[in-house]
Amino acid sequence: MVNFISKRKLWVSISAVLVAASITMLALWGLKLGIDFTGGSLLEVKFLGSAPSVTEVEEKLADLQLKSLTSQPTEQNGMVLRFQDTSEETHQAILKRLPPLEELRFEAVGPSVGQELQRKAIYAIILVLLTISFYMAWAFRKVSRPVASWKYGVVTLISLFHDVVIVLGLFAFLGEFYGVEINTSFIAATLTVLGFSVHDTIVVFDRIRENLPRSNQDFAGTVNTSLNQTIVRSINTSVTVMLVLAAIVFLGGASIQYFSLALLVGIFFGTYSSIFLASPLLVFWDNFSRRNNA
Amino acid sequence: MSESLFSRVFLPKGRNKVWWAFIFVLILGIAGGLVAFGNYYNQAIDNYKLLFPPKVKEIPFRLGLDLLGGSQLVYDADVSAVPAGEQGQAAEGARDVIERRVNVFGVSEPLVQVNRTSDGKYRIIVELAGIKDIREAIKKIGETPLLEFKEQRTEAPTLSPEQKKEIEDYNKTAKIRAEEVLGKLLSGGDFAALAREYSEDLETKADGGSVDWVAKNEAPDVAKAAESIGVGKTSRDLVTTTEGYELLKVEEKRLKEVKASHILICYQGAEKCEGNLTKEQAYAKIKELKDKATPANFAQLAKDNSTEAGAKESGGDLGWFAKGAMVEPFEKAVWEQKVGTISFVVETKFGYHIIFKADENPEYKLSHILIKTKSAEALLGEDAQWKNTELTGRNLKRASVQFNPQDNTPQVSLEFDEEGAKLFEEITGRNVGKPVAIFLDGYAISVPNVNEKITGGQAVITGNFSVIESRELAKRLNAGALPVPITLVNQQTIGASLGQASVDNSLKAGIVGLILVALFMIIYYRFLGFLSVISLLIYGLLSLAIFKLWPVTLTLSGIAGFILSIGMAVDANILIFERLKEELRAGKSLSSAIQEGFSRAWPSIRDSNFTTLLTCIVLIEFSTSAIKGFAVTLMLGVLLSMFSAITVTRTLLRMFSERWFEKHHWLIGYRKSN
Repeated sequence: MVNFISKRKLWVSISAVLVAASITMLALWGLKLGIDFTGGSLLEVKFLGSAPSVTEVEEKLADLQLKSLTSQPTEQNGMVLRFQDTSEETHQAILKRLPPLEELRFEAVGPSVGQELQRKAIYAIILVLLTISFYMAWAFRKVSRPVASWKYGVVTLISLFHDVVIVLGLFAFLGEFYGVEINTSFIAATLTVLGFSVHDTIVVFDRIRENLPRSNQDFAGTVNTSLNQTIVRSINTSVTVMLVLAAIVFLGGASIQYFSLALLVGIFFGTYSSIFLASPLLVFWDNFSRRNNA
Repeated sequence: MSESLFSRVFLPKGRNKVWWAFIFVLILGIAGGLVAFGNYYNQAIDNYKLLFPPKVKEIPFRLGLDLLGGSQLVYDADVSAVPAGEQGQAAEGARDVIERRVNVFGVSEPLVQVNRTSDGKYRIIVELAGIKDIREAIKKIGETPLLEFKEQRTEAPTLSPEQKKEIEDYNKTAKIRAEEVLGKLLSGGDFAALAREYSEDLETKADGGSVDWVAKNEAPDVAKAAESIGVGKTSRDLVTTTEGYELLKVEEKRLKEVKASHILICYQGAEKCEGNLTKEQAYAKIKELKDKATPANFAQLAKDNSTEAGAKESGGDLGWFAKGAMVEPFEKAVWEQKVGTISFVVETKFGYHIIFKADENPEYKLSHILIKTKSAEALLGEDAQWKNTELTGRNLKRASVQFNPQDNTPQVSLEFDEEGAKLFEEITGRNVGKPVAIFLDGYAISVPNVNEKITGGQAVITGNFSVIESRELAKRLNAGALPVPITLVNQQTIGASLGQASVDNSLKAGIVGLILVALFMIIYYRFLGFLSVISLLIYGLLSLAIFKLWPVTLTLSGIAGFILSIGMAVDANILIFERLKEELRAGKSLSSAIQEGFSRAWPSIRDSNFTTLLTCIVLIEFSTSAIKGFAVTLMLGVLLSMFSAITVTRTLLRMFSERWFEKHHWLIGYRKSN
């Protein structure tokens, strides 16, 4: 049997470093919000002839005085233009000024819609977190010794926070250096990570719950036994899901690539946290309250 | 023997029960497969020309805009000028108008809906799949609803030179397009595929142009063309009809109705017979009539001789009748004889007949490809009858539903502004006793009769309205009269090529993902893994079948949700198998290990899936359409995978006896401890 719990300080430190780094990146660079949230337009085109350069395009559009125009060439003779104006006239005027092209995609989000979506996204995340915590507290309501059921809930929340912050940190990094924007599907990915990570943590806690009454070990020992019993399952489950997600990241095409990447990273850390963060934290907490009582 | 068979079938227990469960799973899998891949199955039957088994109905996936290509437009409806209680109604009115405008574009399934946001704003969402000219669509939609009052035209309408040219130009290109399709058909193109691609008949396009049975009297020109084409063949020339240019595929022909008259000579003992001829005499009589009869004198002979009641007046004429209306020998004879001929003597339970077949109405089972043309009538349309007045929706202050104080029937009252009141007075003044038409967006919604000149700017529209209809009318009038200004706040247009690329990519990713998971499961869990892969396949088939049947609109993120659920679907199996192996290691027998594996893993499976379901519900409420798609497929996946991973896997596992496993324990990947 592998003793995970004895090295708990190491595991928790690793997590702490990762979370700290992620928070730093978030604070430094922030997330690059896509037009879903900020409002604005995105136009993706494919040129039928040879593609003009970015400066050529920007010169051609100069008279339209587009606010915060950025143009970015894509792999196949195409270009992605982003700008603030969302009116249909602007859209048509741009198309008229550019050389012959096929319009692959045009998205225009009015500023009010963007704000509304931001608000909705925040509500959704809060709602998911609340539902999950309530469910945890309810599912473990019968376990009160030696660790109270609400503590399972709190520990789960901490590891959820850990998973999400790391994903956000990664996207702050990607946004700063690769211009990756977050959009509504990123929110969906984050929420799914929350669900999946809880999924994993529950399986471990479930085993602890089952082992506790008939265990002749101390709490740390029982937790360690439970971890050993569930670790193969945790890893195998994550591996199967990650295999599928890796397939989408590499083959699924640009539009869902980052969505899947967020899921992939989130699920990896979700599994990590259920083994190396949630359970060690339970033991820490138990020891801490014993010492205080003694 | 027979008793044991009986008990096996009807009183399942033990292994028999397992067999039943297995058959159930098998049927479910096959049914799922037939729905999910019905098109491939039908194709296979066609390829091998099999008569059995029968074909299944093909149900297509419903693809979202991002996969199909198309546009989603979101409008803010500014209802601030509308009194608080009527805002919803005004938004609905604007929705109706937009829907009518959108219908003109010929998009297959336009979706127009009103969405009320949490802070009380009204949004109108328009989804146009596969639309080509989005700019035109935006222009059309953005126009304020148009309410017009028209009076009857007295002079005959004529086409303006521009209109004439428009028709000519349009029809010229239509002919070129039609000839192009004909060329493709003649060079061996598949009719149904061509119909799906080119036909402009939106109702039949998706079914490969199938219009089912068309009778000669309904469409004489089409029937004539079908007759000359011949059963089992397709058009070699364009058929010109009032609708446009048609290409036909004639699948079957049958006789729908015939028109005939007959002479009856009955004999004693025949049904309803009042005559007194013997059978021999009757036969001699009818032979004699048969020799005399010609198409010209048939009616007269019937009047003089037929023993049928009423023949004196009808001349034996039976009019048009369909199959099944006449007794069998009679029907057989008349169905087979040629039009304009007189039959041999036919005997039925009523006596002896000779029949003159006057006409027949065949019908043809057809598919068609229609390339529309424009006609002067269609272009002039309602204009032919009505002409504009100066009074429009600008002049209408409001419309509301009232009840006629005399008989309490609902009516719609109109209230005009000052200018409108004056105009209305003039119009009614010159149209007393005549109808005036109210048009909304080019459609006549009401044509009341003017009873007297109306002053004061108030009018009521009476008619045979139900309460609902009159409310609807008031709603439409208000939408036309009080144009709710709409602004485009959100637009998403996906080119068709990008959509196709997304479908291809995600399909590839899904298949690779599935193979990877299958390999992993089989390598790690060996035989158990193999069983879980089978249940995973059944899971996949069932999910796809449900996507089609529900139907779930598949978007890119929806497909991502489905692919993700493939990964999650094996989770329950992994939980069970790990538990099972653990119990085996603890020295339990195989059957009790299986039992324990399933029952002990259940709480974890339930809890973990439950949290995913909770997340999905929140995501669905989050209600951006992309995210909704993801959550719906994931949620379906979680629910279905619980069934497939537990019921299906357990059933498959139970099919094998314990002794078999003991012999091949390496299949499960554990060594017996002793």
